Formats: sequence, structure tokens, C-alpha cells
Amino acid sequence: MNSVGEGCTDLKREYDQCFNRWFAEHFLKGDRSSDPCTEMFKKYQSCVQKAIKEKDIPIDGVEFMEQDKEKPDS
Amino acid sequence: MKIWSTEHIFSYPWETVIKAAMRKYPNPMNPSVVGVDVLDRKLDTDGRLHSHRLLSTEWGLPGIVRAILGTSRTVTYVKEHSIVDPEEKKMELCSTNITLTNLVSVDEHLLYRPHPDNPDVTILTQEAIITVKGVSLSSYLEGLMALSMSANARKGWDAIEWIIQNSERENVPLCDLY
Repeated sequence: MNSVGEGCTDLKREYDQCFNRWFAEHFLKGDRSSDPCTEMFKKYQSCVQKAIKEKDIPIDGVEFMEQDKEKPDS
Repeated sequence: MKIWSTEHIFSYPWETVIKAAMRKYPNPMNPSVVGVDVLDRKLDTDGRLHSHRLLSTEWGLPGIVRAILGTSRTVTYVKEHSIVDPEEKKMELCSTNITLTNLVSVDEHLLYRPHPDNPDVTILTQEAIITVKGVSLSSYLEGLMALSMSANARKGWDAIEWIIQNSERENVPLCDLY
């Protein structure tokens, strides 16, 4: 599967592989520690954000599952 | 506005179905999904995993609909928010299109949970709200979209089964040694 940013696909695949392993072998088995893929994700995420900006994809302004959102204190 | 809903039973335990649902793409049944990206992912204080993803899709709209909508844009983007609760054994997923929103919106909600009487079986309930805006024939188009939802839902179930079977196969030796 590709990334929306052509140049991000390798980073995505590396991250996906790391995440899928953690998800199956730790998370679903009740291990509460967070995933070990943070550094990979940061690199991948900044690549994707750049691509989204370049392609002008309107990812902001759409919110759902409002009840699950953290609301700022008022 | 048209509301569409359905239910499907997978003959696999919840964990197996969820693993497949999380890495559902790519699969041969949904060639229209050409890209999947994780925008954000975090664990909340209750230990639930939230994922925000961006799906790049090539919509298989009939030519006549494309003509009415007057769009030449072939890639439509869908934003998806999923929550996996490993304690409650519940996976919830909401998605909505974020482009072409002035013409049509398809909001989908999926819920995967174990069958209350049989832990080896997983129930998927699925509903969608389709709204075609600002064009004449909108109820005709909504009906058409609902029809394609049904066809796509079947593809989605087949996709999950396909992922399960193909990942199970990876764990099986290629040939049995006597």
C-alpha cells in the first residue's frame, strides 16, 4: 500500500511493519506499554504532512466521534 | 439523505478479525483504495488505541454520475477515526469523505464485537448516511450510492476474510515433512 506522498511510502511501510507487530503481539494481548515505533512514526508523519500541504488536502475541519475528543477546559 | 445499514458475521474470534481490519489494505477486493496513511495515533487513558487515517480512493462512480457532479477529480480523500478497546473487545470506526463534500457526503460507522454467546464469532454492524447535495436527481443518486454501499460492504467482508486466510497461511509450513 502506498502513501499519499510518493516519497513517504518507504517510511510508511517501515512504520506499518513495526506497528502491526506491536499491535498483534503486545497490544491485543493486554500489554499496556506504548509501541516502540515512535521515532519511525515521527519521520513518516512529517513526510506525510508535507505531502498533504503540497496536495492541498483538507484534512482539518472534519471532526467526528465528538464524544471522544478531549475538550479544552472552559 | 439515505440511511443504510447491515450486519455481518465473521467465523473468527475478535482478535483475528481486528488484526485483519487494521491492515485491511491493500487487498484485491478494494482496488479503489490507492493509499492509506496514519495521520495520528495514540493510546488514551483507558488504554484504547485511537488511529486517525487518511485514505486515498479512486471512486468507481458511474460515468453518468460523474457527468452530473461535473467532477474530473479522480482521487477522493476519506478521513477515518478508529478506536480499539482491547478490554471491552470493541473496535469502532467512523469515516467520512473530506473532498467532494459540496456534492456528496458518505458518513460510515462500523462496530466489531464478539458474539455475546460465541467468542469464536465476530459481529460487524455497519451503517452509513449518504447525502447528495445541491443537484437535481439527488434522491436517485442517493439510491444509487446506497446500492454501491451494499456491493462495497460485501467486498469489505471478503477483504477481511482474505487478509485472515492469507496471514494464517503465512504461519503454515509450505510442505509437510513426514
